Amino acid sequence: MDRRRVLTRALPFVCLAGSALVAPALQAAEEPLVMGIFPRNKPAETTTMYTPLANLLSERLGRKVILATARDFESFSRSVQEGRYDIVFYNQFQYIQSSRSYVVIAHNEEFGRSAVAGALYVRKDSGITQVSQLRGRTIIFGGGRDAMLSYIAPRFLLMQAGLNEEDFKSEFAVNPPNAVVALSLKQADAAGGGEILIDLAAVKKTINTDDIRILASTESLLFLPWAVKRTMPARLRGAIQSVMVDLDGSEAGRAVLKSALTTGIRKAQEKDYDPHRRMINAVFGKGAPPR
Amino acid sequence: MRTERRVIRLGLGAKFTLTVLTILACTMAANTLYSVYASTRFHEKQLVERGRALGRLISLVSPEAILGFDFLLLNDYTRQVSAQPDVVYGVILSPKGSPLSAYIDDSDPFVRARINATGSTDITRLLQELDHQPELIRLEFPIVHNDVELGRFLVGMSKQSLHAESRRRLAFQLIALTALVMFLCAAIYLAFRANVLFPIQALISASRNVGRGQYTRVDVKSEDELGQLAQAFNAMAEEVRREQAKLHRQANFDTLTGLPNRLMALDRINQAINRARRTSQRFALFFIDLDNFKSVNDSLGHAVGDELLVATGMRVQAILRDADTVARLGGDEFLVLVPDVVNELQAEEIAERLVRTISQPQTLSGRKVVARCSIGIVVFPDNGETAAALMANADNAMYQAKASGHGSAIFFTEDMNTRLHQRMQMEQDLNQALELGQLALHFQPIYNAAARCHRGAEVLLRWQHPERGSVGPAEFIPLAEATGQIVAIGDWVLEQACRKWSQWHRAGLGPDFLAINISRVQFRKRFARRLGELMTTYEIPPHALELEITESVLLDDHHHVAEELNSLRAIGVTLSLDDFGTGYSSLSYLKRFRFDVLKIDRSFVSGLPDKPEDVLLVKAILAMAKGLDLKVVAEGVESDDQLQFLSAQGCDYVQGYLLASPMDETAYGRYLESLMVRAEPVALVATRNRRRAGTSG
Repeated sequence: MDRRRVLTRALPFVCLAGSALVAPALQAAEEPLVMGIFPRNKPAETTTMYTPLANLLSERLGRKVILATARDFESFSRSVQEGRYDIVFYNQFQYIQSSRSYVVIAHNEEFGRSAVAGALYVRKDSGITQVSQLRGRTIIFGGGRDAMLSYIAPRFLLMQAGLNEEDFKSEFAVNPPNAVVALSLKQADAAGGGEILIDLAAVKKTINTDDIRILASTESLLFLPWAVKRTMPARLRGAIQSVMVDLDGSEAGRAVLKSALTTGIRKAQEKDYDPHRRMINAVFGKGAPPR
Repeated sequence: MRTERRVIRLGLGAKFTLTVLTILACTMAANTLYSVYASTRFHEKQLVERGRALGRLISLVSPEAILGFDFLLLNDYTRQVSAQPDVVYGVILSPKGSPLSAYIDDSDPFVRARINATGSTDITRLLQELDHQPELIRLEFPIVHNDVELGRFLVGMSKQSLHAESRRRLAFQLIALTALVMFLCAAIYLAFRANVLFPIQALISASRNVGRGQYTRVDVKSEDELGQLAQAFNAMAEEVRREQAKLHRQANFDTLTGLPNRLMALDRINQAINRARRTSQRFALFFIDLDNFKSVNDSLGHAVGDELLVATGMRVQAILRDADTVARLGGDEFLVLVPDVVNELQAEEIAERLVRTISQPQTLSGRKVVARCSIGIVVFPDNGETAAALMANADNAMYQAKASGHGSAIFFTEDMNTRLHQRMQMEQDLNQALELGQLALHFQPIYNAAARCHRGAEVLLRWQHPERGSVGPAEFIPLAEATGQIVAIGDWVLEQACRKWSQWHRAGLGPDFLAINISRVQFRKRFARRLGELMTTYEIPPHALELEITESVLLDDHHHVAEELNSLRAIGVTLSLDDFGTGYSSLSYLKRFRFDVLKIDRSFVSGLPDKPEDVLLVKAILAMAKGLDLKVVAEGVESDDQLQFLSAQGCDYVQGYLLASPMDETAYGRYLESLMVRAEPVALVATRNRRRAGTSG
């Protein structure tokens, strides 16, 4: 009896103490999460593609998720460095660069594949059969120097063949498909890009891919990562990961994937990006990559 | 093989409509073609402008994509360009000419045709091929960045849809034009038909009616040219109607008497025949000829003669019924048609009434005139069943009446026709007599009455008919005069006489003269000139010819006769007045015309010397001739007493059976030769009892 009376008399105090402990967490849950998307596409397209995901996350997490993007990679990288995003979707190189602040929780699955190798393409009629033959030639890369599959991985292949940056002339197309197209249009002697490029519909529609072949390719590299702040509570991180990974399990999720032009989002962890890290370090050393 | 050509006759409406159709079609077609041409040119310029706008835009936006090797974006550009209407291709070439981005519309027929032809999709080659297509407009724009050429943008604009649109527009306009032209033509034709064709058709119809003798007026509905034409037509039709009526009157009525003329008479007779046949009745025709009407004309003048004809017509009309017809056939001939004549007695009574009426004295121009007439009567159907037969028979009967004595009426008999046929047969025979040599000259010598010596001969004509034998001049000369054959016969006689005299004269046998009878008909035909020609031809001296002219010659136109006689006198031939004493006004003729010789008719000589009246008459003639210084020839001397008497009374010349019968030229030639042998004066060679072989002159 007395024990029950003691517990009854103590309950209000327990609740008060509990609420004092939970109150900051509840207050934090009410603050919106910022989901940053790297400017691979135009801002309007980005908004169109990822707003459904933001909405779904808001709904599932019970917390507002705000979609944010940048007008260019530079400002996006600055925002990443400043930790403005709670959730961030960017390329592998950017992830490696920001991995002290962010931790990967998932990766994109594109074209039904989780990973793709970086490759060097040449025209079949070019007579080039070895990477070393690219010495003194023009190589066009898709995207900039921070493009994992289109620059870093091909550069890694070139370095493995003993070719440093000064051993060939570099050109940069606005995106990876254009690098292959430019190769086909004889604007360069080789092109760097993911080995999936040659199968892209946009490329196949533009050039005759039968005229192109892969000269060399790297190991398969996981696709673009989804990361969250390392400071994010584990439950929230897990909740976000769970929502993303389970997207293809519901009608609403599939709609989100379709809108984001991806076939799925799969669970990932830091060590999955070790190959990327090795290649980046090999290409750029410990320093920042030249812009 | 004969090929028949089909002649398509177009009416005025069709011609007018076709003309309008042609003009409208040509004008509107030209307008349409120009419009379509101008429109096509305009749209072609628009097409080029569109191409230029596209080119300028692409060349403006492309450098960034080229510099960024954004070929997909370039592809988007070219795709967007090529998606524009009429763009066949949009190609971005590198400065070296290799294509950086190309989009070619392979659904375009030219592109497809080129691809099919070459079997290649090589862009550069395809562009070269397409550049030669006239249906394509190739535009090229440099892509420049900071004065550096990054490439060229080529755009090919197809004129195909433009031309298709032009063709469609042309087809539509042609269809619309055709519809419009057809509508306009239909409207114009309807207006033309209403305003022109109908009035013209009315005029044509009215003209045809006028042609059929039906005078209808055309309604004048407007004041324009057609209205004026209709007015003119009406005026013309009215004038034609008047003229027709006038012509009808002139053609069917006698202008002098106002009576129906021969034509109308024949029509009335035909009507009477038809009616009589239907009713089985008879009718009578009376052919009336005024006796001696010429004498009235000559003596009282033509005006009185005309008055007589008018008065006769009125008188005859006055005694007939309205159903009867009085017609003037011409000259002094009248015809009376009396329907419903029961018998010949009734016709005879009518004829007597006609004779009485016409014979009643009347005063014309202050002169009392008594006209006589001869009437031939025929009765239908007894005396003929056609108008022509009835008229001919009535005429024949009238001549018989006239021959039988003035103021008589005679029914036609078949015997008259027989005589008529004989006369016609003789007329036909006479036609051939000259050609067949059936005519011959005979000569009856003329002697000096006192000295009984031969002076000359009267030329007599004989006709040796192959069936009827010798036909005397009294029988065929009147016939020849009536038919006009006397002109040829007389000319033959004259020439033969001249020829014979010339022949005898050259033989030294020549009679002093030959006396030749001249017919009044012959005298009218420039006789003097013909005589002069013959005298020249046969070298006949004027005194060798004596022309015997009967008083009937002198009854003709006095002026002409005087001129002709003066011409003969100028030639110098001797003029003899034949049958003196038997005519009407011999003394006045002697006064009016100058003759050299008088020939006393045999009828006066035959009573000599026993008949006191003949004795007195011959003495008077001889005395008158002596007073007028005329020679006298007595013909028909058949007895010594006659010869003695005439000689005693101072007659200059004689001829007759007592002295010599007429003889043919051979016999007369021999006679002349015998005279030469005997030498003058000669004994008479009279064949006193010889049968008369012909009529002496």
